[in-house]
Amino acid sequence: MAYPTATTEIIGLWTGWVLMLMIYSYPLYKENPVYRFAEHLYIAVMLAVNLVVNFSNVMRICIRPLMGGNITLIVPLILGIMIYAMLIPEYRWVSRYPIAIMVGAGFGLGIRGSIGPNIQDAIVSTITRPTDGGTMAWINFLYIAVGLICSVMYFLLTYEHSGALQAPTRLGRLFIMVALGAYFGNTVLFRFTMLTGRAQFFLQVLKLIPM
Amino acid sequence: MSFSLANIDRRVFYWILFIALMVPFLNPIGFPIKIAENTRDLYEGITGDSVEPGDVWIINFGYGVSAWPECHPGVTVCAKALLREGAHIILMGPHTDVELTYYHLLDTAKEDFDAATYGEDYVFLGYITGYESAIAQLASNMRSVYPTDHFNTPLDDIPMMQDVNTWHDVSGVLSSDTGDWGGYFLTQWQEPYGVPMAQIGIAMLGSTGIPRWLAGNYFGMSVGSRGGAELEMLIDEPGDAIIAMDSISVSHLLIVIAVILANIGLLLERGRGS
Repeated sequence: MAYPTATTEIIGLWTGWVLMLMIYSYPLYKENPVYRFAEHLYIAVMLAVNLVVNFSNVMRICIRPLMGGNITLIVPLILGIMIYAMLIPEYRWVSRYPIAIMVGAGFGLGIRGSIGPNIQDAIVSTITRPTDGGTMAWINFLYIAVGLICSVMYFLLTYEHSGALQAPTRLGRLFIMVALGAYFGNTVLFRFTMLTGRAQFFLQVLKLIPM
Repeated sequence: MSFSLANIDRRVFYWILFIALMVPFLNPIGFPIKIAENTRDLYEGITGDSVEPGDVWIINFGYGVSAWPECHPGVTVCAKALLREGAHIILMGPHTDVELTYYHLLDTAKEDFDAATYGEDYVFLGYITGYESAIAQLASNMRSVYPTDHFNTPLDDIPMMQDVNTWHDVSGVLSSDTGDWGGYFLTQWQEPYGVPMAQIGIAMLGSTGIPRWLAGNYFGMSVGSRGGAELEMLIDEPGDAIIAMDSISVSHLLIVIAVILANIGLLLERGRGS
């Protein structure tokens, strides 16, 4: 990539730079009219883009083929229009049919492919002992195995977590807390990466680093 | 009034963070980057004997513009690697700004895409919606989901797509995600039909993706911008991810320092209270 040379591209670049600073004025300073303007502009532009892209998509995958003679596409088109009935309180019930079809289809399709990779394969890979990787692979294997068993035991709600169940369920709770902490940490760090991208952009526009 | 860490204005931290992130771009530190096994598996799965010239691969842009720093470097390397192996690439994505990502890819892998021909070596199908149902339908009849490419050319008129219409005609899927789309390809392509797939995910997806890689569902997995940097090292072409890694590492260090300081502050407060 290189720094743009076309006037329109340069204007676009600087517009993005200024809008970014307007947005960052909120965390770095405080809420202010400049921030609110940029926020409202962002929402408006995103809505407009979403509307145009989705409308174009309906035209491409449904209306044009329908006009071309693929008459069966009238069914999803009508179902799609029926969803808008939820905007009219007295006809809201009409929208339930397409939603029911969507949920049913999604649920059925989801179940079809989920059991293998999300349950069966996950369990098999967890209980399969490592064949290579040395000591660390074994430590990792035991850590995951103990963590899995203890975490599952924590959700054993039909028995009181006392006696023989006390230690593993407490350990299970610790594993769950570690997992949630790691997940949250990853979430935060993803946001930081996005911020890193903005910091890079900030410097690139000023030509302090190459684009 | 005694000094308390809890009384520090949070904006002080934001300013320190914002400035600290910029410094490594101006003065690179060069933290070492070790290549993870899951990233190596991904790279090996799209290079060498794993790919034959003419193989058709799908690259799904399951991320928007905001996630470019996390996902795009990895996608760039994968697109370069596949084109160099002579594979054909189908590009698509579920975000409304997918067109921007497509043009960004043409820019970040410029030499490779300039050497390739649209419609023969790669094709951009554009925006897809419909979630898991659409991905399932894509496996059985692509033309029902995409009658045309993004530029309204019927798929039948695109040379590369002449014999491509179902999962059977596709050699592999690379899904780069901030959300669930990789999971849809997993449940609707990999699981029922055995189509090889890998994920180029954001850091958050590591915790769900790595177990799938360990279980063999994904042949490889790139996690976040770190994964992108590792891929750039594997293809031996430093790019945005390697440049950004120093800054990302600094941000992580700052967080660790902030967490330690916050806990010290908490303990001190408790000590004073008791």
